[in-house]
Amino acid sequence: MSVSDATTALTEELAARDDMIVCEGVNKWFGDFQALDGITAVIKEREVVVVLGPSGSGKSTWIRCINRLEAHQEGRIVIDGVELTNDLRNIEKIRSEVGMVFQQFNLFPHLTVLDNIMLAPIWVRKKPKGEAEELARSLLERVGIPEQAEKYPGQLSGGQQQRVAIARALAMEPRIMLFDEPTSALDPEMIKEVLDVMKELALSGMTMMVVTHEMGFAREVADRVIFMEDGQIVETGTPEHFFTNPQEERTKLFLSQIL
Amino acid sequence: MTATMGDPAAGAGPVEPWDGEREPAQKPEEPSLSAGEWLGRNLFSSPVNSLLTVVFSLLVLLAVRGLLNFTFSEERTWRAVKTNMRFLFTHAYPQDQYARIWVCVGAIAVLSGLSVGLLARVGRGISMKKLSMNLMATGGVIALGIVLREPSAIVDDEGVALHRDVSAVAGGGSFAGWLDANAFTVLAVLVLANVALALWFHLQGTYLRGGPEPRTAHGALVLVSVGVLIVQQYATGEVVRESFADAMSDRAWWWLAAAVLVGGGAALWLGLGDARRRNTFVPAMYVFFVGSGLMVLSAWVYPWGHYGFLEGEFINEPGRTVAMTTKLPWTVMLVLLVATYELGRVLRAAGAGPKLRVPLNLLWVLTPFVLYWAVLRDPDLDWDHVLSTDLPMAVFFAAFGGVVVWFLAHPRIGEAGRVMAAVLVAVAALNWVAAYFGWYPMLQKARISFLLLAVVALLAHNFAGDRSQRLKLVAAWVATMAVFHWLVTLVNSPSTVDTPTDALIGGFGITLIVAVFTLLLAFPMGVLLALARTSKLPIFRVLSTAYIEVFRGVPLITVLFFFTLIFNLFLPDNMTLVDIAGATIGFALFSAAYLAENVRGGLQAVRRGQYEASDAVGFTTVQRTLFIVLPQALRVSIPPLVGQVIATFKETSLLAIVGIFDFLRIADKVISAQSEFLGVKREGLLFVSFIYWIFAYNMSKHSQRLEKRLGVGER
Repeated sequence: MSVSDATTALTEELAARDDMIVCEGVNKWFGDFQALDGITAVIKEREVVVVLGPSGSGKSTWIRCINRLEAHQEGRIVIDGVELTNDLRNIEKIRSEVGMVFQQFNLFPHLTVLDNIMLAPIWVRKKPKGEAEELARSLLERVGIPEQAEKYPGQLSGGQQQRVAIARALAMEPRIMLFDEPTSALDPEMIKEVLDVMKELALSGMTMMVVTHEMGFAREVADRVIFMEDGQIVETGTPEHFFTNPQEERTKLFLSQIL
Repeated sequence: MTATMGDPAAGAGPVEPWDGEREPAQKPEEPSLSAGEWLGRNLFSSPVNSLLTVVFSLLVLLAVRGLLNFTFSEERTWRAVKTNMRFLFTHAYPQDQYARIWVCVGAIAVLSGLSVGLLARVGRGISMKKLSMNLMATGGVIALGIVLREPSAIVDDEGVALHRDVSAVAGGGSFAGWLDANAFTVLAVLVLANVALALWFHLQGTYLRGGPEPRTAHGALVLVSVGVLIVQQYATGEVVRESFADAMSDRAWWWLAAAVLVGGGAALWLGLGDARRRNTFVPAMYVFFVGSGLMVLSAWVYPWGHYGFLEGEFINEPGRTVAMTTKLPWTVMLVLLVATYELGRVLRAAGAGPKLRVPLNLLWVLTPFVLYWAVLRDPDLDWDHVLSTDLPMAVFFAAFGGVVVWFLAHPRIGEAGRVMAAVLVAVAALNWVAAYFGWYPMLQKARISFLLLAVVALLAHNFAGDRSQRLKLVAAWVATMAVFHWLVTLVNSPSTVDTPTDALIGGFGITLIVAVFTLLLAFPMGVLLALARTSKLPIFRVLSTAYIEVFRGVPLITVLFFFTLIFNLFLPDNMTLVDIAGATIGFALFSAAYLAENVRGGLQAVRRGQYEASDAVGFTTVQRTLFIVLPQALRVSIPPLVGQVIATFKETSLLAIVGIFDFLRIADKVISAQSEFLGVKREGLLFVSFIYWIFAYNMSKHSQRLEKRLGVGER
């Protein structure tokens, strides 16, 4: 992996911050297929990292390993000082600190928007109900749909559902937010409303790891872009560096195909 | 709108913003079709459809005629059913204790009224149009039934039907005689004529395009066919029958009923005038109340119940009242139902609905236990034992368990909680091992209480929370202990209600009781089995799969025989299982296997994303299952679950085979053995089928409404 000057500068700037996500030589296989191949990366506090790559490159698998929706088989993943192992207590602790937003929203269809957001704070964080509701309403305000609180997910548009999903993840007051292709299932006119919420979140200092195909978002918001292919990290760098001066042939090919 | 956007010049004024308050465009009312048009479009739209319509209408008419002739034949002894009504529903429950049964019915009426008033999703109700049309249709069906039914036979002084020489009638040259002899040919010719006519119109190309005439001609032929079918029956058979006029006149009461229904419906229709008012809605419950009110009222003005057994003596004299008349209790029941329904509506209007939902549903679950053991059985409590043993034990478990729950539901209990729960589980397990080897004496209910406490302790951390949450958990535990110990005391006390047979109650009563308790036991079992079968732990999977496959592979009747006859041999000497408990356990174990498979289907329908989302927000497995997976899985499996509930309800008729006096057995074996009604069986069986059908049909209807409300199939 070639490390450019820009990336070196960035690394120096970030060095002072705490490590939030540390991956060392992470390998994962699905049957005989190797989905992740020696992933090594460090994501710092308040950093926004966008993971790019062609489909099947292992982006989603990697992000899903970080809160143990998939188990990695070799290597180390350390989240905010806690290593992910088979120990249930560590997994519970990490999951309550890492929020996740899915491509298909995965809201709970039998609960109202408000209950979708309140349920986890009440039962996992053991918050009193009144406090949880207050939090849920303020989060709905933050994502811009306070008036939808009493509705069911099926009554909302895709963009609204995804914003509820973001609010649901934020309700756990996580230190890290993972986004797994949050806009891929949305109609074009709804993508912006979700990206706006994500931008606001990034500006507020949240540590974020985003798998997306939204190049505009990567360019504008990301502190760092990681390019993956065939389960490996091919190139990593600041957005300017990545979009204007990519080093690797595969990165150039990828960019020429999508831009 | 589009024009404005496409061409700015066209939109001179500003585009009217959609603020949601503009009067929405009214959907134009569907033009109502005349009867002829409706028939033409739906039943006679093409030659093939016409043919199918004719053939199947004839089949249906023949079948209905057969059923009517069977039901209303002079050979039927409906007195046998009317006289044995009390017997059919409660068997040998003593007459002087009958108030207890009415208390049970009343309790259910109160709960139903409250539930419907408070919780039921009020739709728009029934439109006046539909109501009047239904009334008229019912009247029409009754009138058709009167005409279709064969005339009564002419009987001699002894009540024996007069017979005639069939060959003489058939050869006698009368139209009826000829028709009788050639009934099959005539029907065949009519069907062929229908086909031919339809085909001819079709070839002419006029069937659909040529205006109403072809269809009218065809319709006339259909009417002729039906007419011939009706006339034919007046000439059938060897029995001498009344003339048409006489046959119609001895059905005066039925004619009156038909006329009242048609007239009432028509009056409603005409009285409401224009279409808008016909489309006003009345709540469905009010229609039900008016209908039931009329039925109860009829009991006050007409002596339906002059048949019966008065202290074992058979009474069959109009005007003489039988001891247990039911008109007063039924009136009280109806008043209770209406009053609680209105109370429920008032409470709902006051916004109490969401708060009372859970308590009300809990009451539904709890009521059968209280009604059966406390009300119907009137337990004879041994107060010395209650005060010295039962009460202190209940208090001990409530207090001790309450403290444990309070402690374990602390949000940050951590490892100490796990250790404590493990200790409790060990003690509970030890208690049961001790029971097996007889190490130390302990009341069975103490062992069960300990086991319950251990389970609650294991689960407590899932429901931990702030102070009020913990208080709620403690209160739930104390209430559980109170109810559990009270019920066990009741179950273990002898009954003061004295019946000639061993069983407390029989007939439809036992059918309902066994069905309800079976489902109360089988539902939780089925859900647990389904969860076990989809569990990640192999031991659960294997055990559950084995259980399900064994019970699905064994005939129900074998299971029942095992639990009523053989199971007692395996029990310790001082324990026996009464027949009804054994049968209920057998039914429950059997249904649970089927319910489990239905629930498993629902579990598989829950998408993987739901599991992932639950995991991602940090739910434990128990929380994920309770809050996210099960609600969705059960919703999806409502249709098969209700199918299983209906099946279980009907399967209780197998109680008759294992020697319990259930509904079916009384109709089949008991009534036909009474000296007054020797060999009278068909009436009872028909009546029993009808009652089963009413219940099963209502369950199925209710499930359809439930499905609609929960939006099954919309996702």
